[in-house]
Amino acid sequence: MVLTVENLSKSFGKSMVFHDISFSVNKGEIVCIRGKSGEGKTTLLRCLTSLETPDKGSIKINNMYLCREENSQIKYAQKGELQAIRQEIGLVFQDFNLFPHMSVMENLMEAPVFLKNDSPDNIRKRALELLKSLELEGKEDSYPFQLSGGQQQRVAIARACMLNPSVLCFDEPTSALDEQTRGQISKIIRYLSSEGISIIIVTHDNAFADEIAQRIITMKDGKITIQEQ
Amino acid sequence: MESKVLTMLVPMATEGLKVTLGVFALTLIMSLPLAIVVAKLRMSKNKIISKITGIYIYIMRGTPLLLQLMFIFFGYYRVPLIGYPFSRGQAIVIAFVLNYTAYFAEIFRGGINSIDIGQHEASLVLGLSKTHTFMKIILPQVIKNVMPSIGNEVITLVKDTSLVYILGSSDILKAARSVSNVYAAFSPYIYIGLVYLVIIAILTKVLDKIENRYDYYR
Repeated sequence: MVLTVENLSKSFGKSMVFHDISFSVNKGEIVCIRGKSGEGKTTLLRCLTSLETPDKGSIKINNMYLCREENSQIKYAQKGELQAIRQEIGLVFQDFNLFPHMSVMENLMEAPVFLKNDSPDNIRKRALELLKSLELEGKEDSYPFQLSGGQQQRVAIARACMLNPSVLCFDEPTSALDEQTRGQISKIIRYLSSEGISIIIVTHDNAFADEIAQRIITMKDGKITIQEQ
Repeated sequence: MESKVLTMLVPMATEGLKVTLGVFALTLIMSLPLAIVVAKLRMSKNKIISKITGIYIYIMRGTPLLLQLMFIFFGYYRVPLIGYPFSRGQAIVIAFVLNYTAYFAEIFRGGINSIDIGQHEASLVLGLSKTHTFMKIILPQVIKNVMPSIGNEVITLVKDTSLVYILGSSDILKAARSVSNVYAAFSPYIYIGLVYLVIIAILTKVLDKIENRYDYYR
C-alpha cells in the first residue's frame, strides 16, 4: 500500500466535513473520489496534502505517518518528516496555481532546486524530459499567461512530478477543460499511473470518473458510501 | 536685477538641492525595506505585535509630518529610552523614515493581501519554506501590484522634503525664500518650482521604467 487512510475525521468548528473515512491506494492505482459539491472531497484531498489538519485518524504514505492516533490523541508529523512526506504526495490544484512571474522552466525548477534534490543541471534535464513527455516541448521559456488552460494544467502536473511523488492528487481536473483536452488529461493520468505513480482524483464529473478510474469511492454526507472496482 | 537674483540663487539652490535629494534618498532607502517588515508585523498572528504596529501606523498617519519633525528634534526628552538629543540631520531622517515607513507598510500590506492564497498553498505543497515563499513567490508579485501606489508616495516625498525648513535646514525652497526676501522678488519661487518639476519628471520616467520591467507577465 502506498497510501493508507484510517478513521479520518475533520470538522470546521461545529460543522462536520467528513467522518470516519478509511481507504487505501495501491502503487500505480487510479482512484476517483466522487460526490456532489460540499461533500468534503476537496477537504479530504487537502488533508492528504497537509493543507488542512484532520481532527482524528491516521494518514500513512510510504510508511511515513502524516498523522496518527496515539492514546486517542492525534499526532502530526514534525517539520523534517513533514518535508519528506510532502515530496511523496503532490497536488494539481483545480486552478493550477502556477507562479505567474516565473517561466515554465522556473516553475518546474523552483522546488527541487530549493530542496537540493539534485544538481541544477540534472534538475533542468529532468524538467525538459517531463515537458517533452507532456507535449510541452519548446514551452520552457513561456509564462503561464501565454499558455492555454490545458497547457497550464500540464505544467502544473509537470511541476508536481518534478519531486518524484509516489502519489499525485488532482482536484477537479476536468472542470476547466473542453472535450479534446479532457481526452489528453486522461491519457496523461494513465501514463503517470503506468510509471508507478498512484493517482487520486477528486471529481464530480461522473463520466470522467467512470472512464478513468480503476476504483471509485463515493462520498455522501461526509462518509464513504460506496467503494467499487 | 534678474542676474543678481540668479547669482545668489544658484549656489544656494545647489546646496539646498543636496539637502532635498539627500533626505529623499535616505528616506527611500531605509523606509522601503523597513515597510515590508512592518507590514509583516502588522499582519502577524500575534495580536500584541499586530496591535502595537497598528498604533505606530495610526500615530504616523494621524499626525502631520511637520509635528513629527518638531517632536523628534525638540521633544526628544519626552520619548522614553532616548537619552541624548538628536542632531538636526538625525531628527530629519528619523522623522521622515518613521513617517514614510508607515505609509509604505500599509501599501505593502494591501499588496500582500491581494496575492491569491493559492500561491501560498502551491508553495507549501511543493515543500518551499515560508521565507523562501515570501521572498521568491509572494514579494515579486506584490512589488508589481504596489508599484503605482509606491510611485505616488515617492513623488509626494520629494515635495515633503521642503518641510525640513522647520528645523532650520536649508533645502531648495528655503533657498528661494531667502533670495526672494533679499531682492523682494518673486522669480526665485518660479525657478525652484521648475527644479521640482524637473526632479519629478526624471522620477516619473524612472518609475515608469520599473513598472515596465514587471510587464513581462500578467
